[in-house]
Amino acid sequence: MSQKKIHEDQKYIDGLVQNNAFIIQAIYDKFAPKVVNYIKQNSGDASRAQDVIQETIITIYNQANEKGLQLTCPFDAYFFLLCKRKWLNQLKKTGNKEVTINEEVLSKDDDAQELAFETSLFEQQHNLFTEMFQKLGKACKDLLKASFKIKSMEEVAKSLGVSYAYARKKKSLCIGKLTKMVQESPAYNNLKS
Amino acid sequence: MQEQDYITFEAYLSRALPLEEQMAFQKRLQEDEAYKLAFETYKEASGFLEHNFKNEEKNKAFKANLEKVSKSYFNKQEAPKAKRIQPWYYSVAIAAILVIGFFIKQQFSSPVYSDFANYETISLTVRGTQSNMLNKAETAFNAKNYKDAEAYFTALIKLDSNNLELQLYQAVSLVELDAFKEADAIFMKIINSPSVYNNKAKWYLALSKLKQEDTNACLNVLQSIPEDADDYKQAQKLIKKLD
Repeated sequence: MSQKKIHEDQKYIDGLVQNNAFIIQAIYDKFAPKVVNYIKQNSGDASRAQDVIQETIITIYNQANEKGLQLTCPFDAYFFLLCKRKWLNQLKKTGNKEVTINEEVLSKDDDAQELAFETSLFEQQHNLFTEMFQKLGKACKDLLKASFKIKSMEEVAKSLGVSYAYARKKKSLCIGKLTKMVQESPAYNNLKS
Repeated sequence: MQEQDYITFEAYLSRALPLEEQMAFQKRLQEDEAYKLAFETYKEASGFLEHNFKNEEKNKAFKANLEKVSKSYFNKQEAPKAKRIQPWYYSVAIAAILVIGFFIKQQFSSPVYSDFANYETISLTVRGTQSNMLNKAETAFNAKNYKDAEAYFTALIKLDSNNLELQLYQAVSLVELDAFKEADAIFMKIINSPSVYNNKAKWYLALSKLKQEDTNACLNVLQSIPEDADDYKQAQKLIKKLD
């Protein structure tokens, strides 16, 4: 993956990471119409398309920030695949059977397929972590929030009124708990295919 | 995994693991699949938390920005839908076209009699010879009451059969009453006689032909109107329209 040449459309990914309003606007102007059409043709409407596009962009942003996403294919193909999959998954969930999957619309770009697959995997992971984090006890949540917001663990310990050693140990155990919860969830096995 | 394992993971990730423990840690990663999987998940969790909380403000700003662009983009898309032409717009458009068409027709289509038939008020009464009948004829004609006017003119002409002026107005009244045959005969009589009403009669005859929609006859009469006639300009204008 890292051997592959980075596509010039990486500028869209970088623009998202930098929260560049012009790039966000350009993504909508250039790539949204195709997605909106697709969703409208498959039992959806503009407002559903709006949600799908927004969620997809947030996922790309998250992956780029967390994992340093590198684009090895045109943004167009990658973005369309992601939006399409997201929409088809939503239709599947609501049990809507009026889906006309036009496979010709599918990109034949292998890189795009692979990258889109990685991104949707990332998204499911991200959602799983979010869900499990909410299930942690308040003490763990507070400590984790503080320890990632504040750089120095000494300050974290001070702000929570605990010793430095305890804060460090507690941080490991809280992340450990989150790790365990994620690993034990049924969704986790699907992610480790 | 034991508590100690997570503590080791954290120490390793924050580069706080002593060198000899690092060796043991890496050895176990290679040999113990479950250990490796747990460490990888721990690393994922750590990365997730870091991105979520370290960049909390940044993420919020990004989402707000995205929301703004998204809303404005989709509102723009919906705008034309909201402005979709309502059915009643079509009737308004048709009405407008009809009105415009009417004016264009007025301007460019064949001229009609009423466009040109602006008969001046007449004055028949002469000082000293006040006639009740003349007065009535004049009043009726000026009031465009041509039926009465024609009756008065007929009566007057019986008394004064050579009065071409009365005959001219009688003929005009007849045109107004659509009695073209009689009217045209009177105009021809006046035209063929040497009189001051000669050119006037030509012009009125042309108007009669116009009212009868006999364009050829109308044009022939019009072209006979000489330049020095009162109605020459009007005649030329009508020729242009008829051409």
